[in-house]
Amino acid sequence: MKKKHFSTIYLVLVFLLLYIPIFYLIFYSFNKGGDMNRFTGFTWQHYLDLFADQRMLIIVLDTLLLALLSSLIATLVGTMGAIGIAARKQKKVKSALLTLNNVLMVSPDVIIGASFLILFTALGISLGFGSVLISHIAFSIPIVVLLVLPKVNEMDSSLINAAMDLGATRWQTFSRVIVPFIAPGIFSGFFMAFTYSLDDFAVTFFVTGNGFATLAVEIYSRARQGISLEINALSAVMFLFALILVVGYYFIEQYSQSRRKRKSGKSTLGTEVMLP
Amino acid sequence: MVKPIIELKNITKRYDDGFTALENIDLVIEPGKFYSLLGPSGSGKTTILRIIAGFTDATEGEVIFEGKKINDLPANQRKVNTVFQNYALFPHMDVFDNVAFGLTLKKRPEKEIRERVLNALKVVQLPGYANREISELSGGQQQRVAIARAIVNEPKVLLLDEPLSALDMKLRKDMQYELRELQQRLKITFIFVTHDQEEALAMSDEIFVMNDGKALQSGTPVDIYDEPINHFVANFIGESNILPGKMIKDFEVEFVGKKFECADAGMRSGEKVEVVLRPEDLDITTPEQGKLVVTVDTQLFRGDHFEIVGYDEDGNEWLIHSTNPVKDGKKIGLTFEPEDIHVMRFGEKEEDFDARLEQYEED
Repeated sequence: MKKKHFSTIYLVLVFLLLYIPIFYLIFYSFNKGGDMNRFTGFTWQHYLDLFADQRMLIIVLDTLLLALLSSLIATLVGTMGAIGIAARKQKKVKSALLTLNNVLMVSPDVIIGASFLILFTALGISLGFGSVLISHIAFSIPIVVLLVLPKVNEMDSSLINAAMDLGATRWQTFSRVIVPFIAPGIFSGFFMAFTYSLDDFAVTFFVTGNGFATLAVEIYSRARQGISLEINALSAVMFLFALILVVGYYFIEQYSQSRRKRKSGKSTLGTEVMLP
Repeated sequence: MVKPIIELKNITKRYDDGFTALENIDLVIEPGKFYSLLGPSGSGKTTILRIIAGFTDATEGEVIFEGKKINDLPANQRKVNTVFQNYALFPHMDVFDNVAFGLTLKKRPEKEIRERVLNALKVVQLPGYANREISELSGGQQQRVAIARAIVNEPKVLLLDEPLSALDMKLRKDMQYELRELQQRLKITFIFVTHDQEEALAMSDEIFVMNDGKALQSGTPVDIYDEPINHFVANFIGESNILPGKMIKDFEVEFVGKKFECADAGMRSGEKVEVVLRPEDLDITTPEQGKLVVTVDTQLFRGDHFEIVGYDEDGNEWLIHSTNPVKDGKKIGLTFEPEDIHVMRFGEKEEDFDARLEQYEED
């Protein structure tokens, strides 16, 4: 019993430690006092400032667009890559390709960012939205590959044979059998790539030019100039956004599960009512 | 002579690493019959199926379908359908969509698809299962869906790759009857791959026995059981007592030091041979009346018979099936008819074997 108490307390402590800084930040975003030393009263002022800040709004939209584009393209390329790796017959080639993929996953962002900067300068590619997009796609692909690959491996090759046997062309086999089967992997790959792109700082910092900034880079540069509670307000909004994403993902999972169950006639009323 | 629907001519399959999976396979498949490819795992029987289906290429030889060479025809254009060992049902589709898959690809009208799919489900005795998910079905039901998915396309030939091996004993027996019945009703040619000799004997019109990538013997179940061509076939199909022997003259053979009248001929006098005696052909009698005398060592009750193991004076092991039990350690006599003895020559080819049999059976 005692042991159980201890583990609960430990868990609560860990979560408190992780979340306190964030809530501290959000708490002061409502501070009338303009700094984070003392809470002097409640205000929406910093939020009003934030939404009046046109530059900031453009950056937010840019960041979202960047994340969306890069994760879409990375999902496409990464899925093909995963299928390609899984199709290799020789074990050595397979593991070599996978290792190359994983090295990109674990290598420090700073290195990746710096090497991209060198590459872009050498090729004479001007820094801006394009260069950031390319680098985001590049570091997202390994993530997608890693998330899609298990699903591809899980698929029995006899499914492909069965599709062909029933008259499917290569394309029909791909679109009607392979893609639906690995779809869960593709979705989680896409979501992961999306979040990675959203909060990347290091790589973006290297390859972003003068005219273009993402949220992470912008917050960093503003935070360096001194404390503005507008940043706190922005953090609060972003936190909320992330929360919505997580909850949304949860409901999508629930939905697909309950749909599977409903078809089998085992669905519970509760989950259905909760669906949007 | 019926025109064959599928012919394999001199098919050889070699892999890049030099492994030969099939060697000079000749196969003639006539329409409307139930064929079994029988052999232990690794004998190449599934490879033959894959070559017919088009999942893999033959290194040498011709695959002929209705008189046309189809070596280069891709799998999706061949008029055969396959039932896979693990069923290979699409898990993201329900039963209806699985069965309808082939027809949907052919862009048949929706009404026709509906009719044909529901009909196919009725044929495999799963009416009312159309909207079930695959994961909800038992192994036997998945098996039926896999069959429905194949037959709904009205293939000329249905290839079945050990489709019953994952089912439990009782269900397997039931499915054997159903498959056989289904084949006779639909009049589709079935090519059935199995390593289970009982299954092959029970269901087939014709069996091809394979081992190590070679076709050893083909014939009706009765032919193969009664007249196995060599030691491997005799051993693999049913249980047997196989003993070294010597041909004295036509219709007389010597084994365990005694001469016996037999039904085989056409061999050299004094030729070394092997003699097969099936355990169920051995009748137990008193030691005085027996052609052979053995001492009972062990016996097992198998439900419908007793399986008795005994040793004769020379130490040869004898397997006997009897409906009545005997006492352990007791000496018993064994008797059998001349027709119960089957003589096999060493290294005889199937054509020579058939020719020799024909030669003296005509008399």
